[in-house]
Amino acid sequence: MYQLVHHKETGLGISALLSVVFHAAVFAFLIWWQQMVPNLDPVEITYYVDVVNLPVTDPRSGNPTQTGNEDVPAPQPETPPPAMTVPAATGKSPLVKKSVPLEDSKAFQESLSKLEGKVDSQRQAAAFEALKKKVAAKGKVGMPRGTGGESGSDYTAYLHSRLKDAFGKTIKYQSKNPFVMVRLTIDGDGRIIRTRFEKSSGDGVFELSVTRAITLAEQSIVPPPGRSVYEGGFVFKPQGVIQR
Amino acid sequence: MGLELFFTGTGLVVKGVLLLLIIFSVVSWAIIMFKFFQIQKAFTESGRFMDFFWKTKRFDTIAAQADRFASSPLTALFNEGYSELKQLMEAEGAKPDHGGGVNTDLGGVANVSRALRRATNLEVNRLEKYTTFLATTGSTSPFIGLFGTVWGIMVAFIGIGKTGSASLAVVAPGIAEALIATAVGLVAAIPAVMAYNHFQHKIRVLIKEMDSFSTEFLNIVQRNVAGK
Repeated sequence: MYQLVHHKETGLGISALLSVVFHAAVFAFLIWWQQMVPNLDPVEITYYVDVVNLPVTDPRSGNPTQTGNEDVPAPQPETPPPAMTVPAATGKSPLVKKSVPLEDSKAFQESLSKLEGKVDSQRQAAAFEALKKKVAAKGKVGMPRGTGGESGSDYTAYLHSRLKDAFGKTIKYQSKNPFVMVRLTIDGDGRIIRTRFEKSSGDGVFELSVTRAITLAEQSIVPPPGRSVYEGGFVFKPQGVIQR
Repeated sequence: MGLELFFTGTGLVVKGVLLLLIIFSVVSWAIIMFKFFQIQKAFTESGRFMDFFWKTKRFDTIAAQADRFASSPLTALFNEGYSELKQLMEAEGAKPDHGGGVNTDLGGVANVSRALRRATNLEVNRLEKYTTFLATTGSTSPFIGLFGTVWGIMVAFIGIGKTGSASLAVVAPGIAEALIATAVGLVAAIPAVMAYNHFQHKIRVLIKEMDSFSTEFLNIVQRNVAGK
């Protein structure tokens, strides 16, 4: 009698083991491949041209007439414009009286015209003074002693623009409203020496895209003003990058 | 995005779909490897057995050496036919009016034929065992993957709707991740379908060989034993 027990299928367990090893090897190979092979996306180089100087914190610092060596006198305190005053009462109002003597009326008219003339001259003097101050104030903008760099160019805004552009290329996320709060430290040579994730919504894909954006932005940033160490915080969201 | 991040970052449903497809793939590859070696061995040993069968004239000698070709389905057929034949001859020999051969009128050869047919069926069952899983994987994996994709895209669009941004940078990653489920489904299904078709073809060839051997065996029995 033919019996199936003659054909014990012992190879299935070994095949299952081989299959698991095969799948693990394929998975490991794919991960290795992703790391080894460079990204084949088309290269899009962004050329940044900073046409104007970056804005300074205090644009009115400095004076065009100064050479940088002379002593600058302390500015005069602004004199408040003369307040309008009601003329002092000179007895009873002539308008109230029904019958006013001719001599009194003439004297009143003279004193009124004098008073009006005085007020006009005061107004003119005040307006002239204000104009002079305005002209004098205008001449101070962006002059030698106000370098702008001393008070700090807006390097954060500059960095923000670079990060924003880079983030637009790398943004990827999986959770609903991901965010990452990053603190960057840039050395005097414009290299990002420290990237600290202060807060995160926990979206790993989003965090990776932020890291890639920072790496991408690092290629185009210039050193901070005065080649000092810069430290600043930025919040990355799907809507964009926000300065902290 | 890295694969490791993808597998950790997807939703539960897509993760479940991917896990199921990976299990399907692992099991079907195990079956593919097992069946490949089994059928390959069956073919090789069948060829060797047939050489041995035609060179050796005596059934008892072949039966003694049959264990050398244990993986061949033809060996199983021969063993079954020979066993049935031996039983018949013993039964005929025990009868008082024994004439020295197998009585074909009483269905002696038919008994051997039935035994051979039963052995063929059992061998076919043995050879086809597990191949149905390959067929199942081949036919269902793309649909399971598609389900994962549809679900992933749905979740991605809900997320996009809540975020309010419809830029390509926001829409594309979710859809790309969802499509991976279909890709994994196809990766599991394609080898399974190919292997299933290949094995079916090989098993059909073996069935024909078994039928031919059965016919030859019955002819020999009728010529040399029943005709005595």
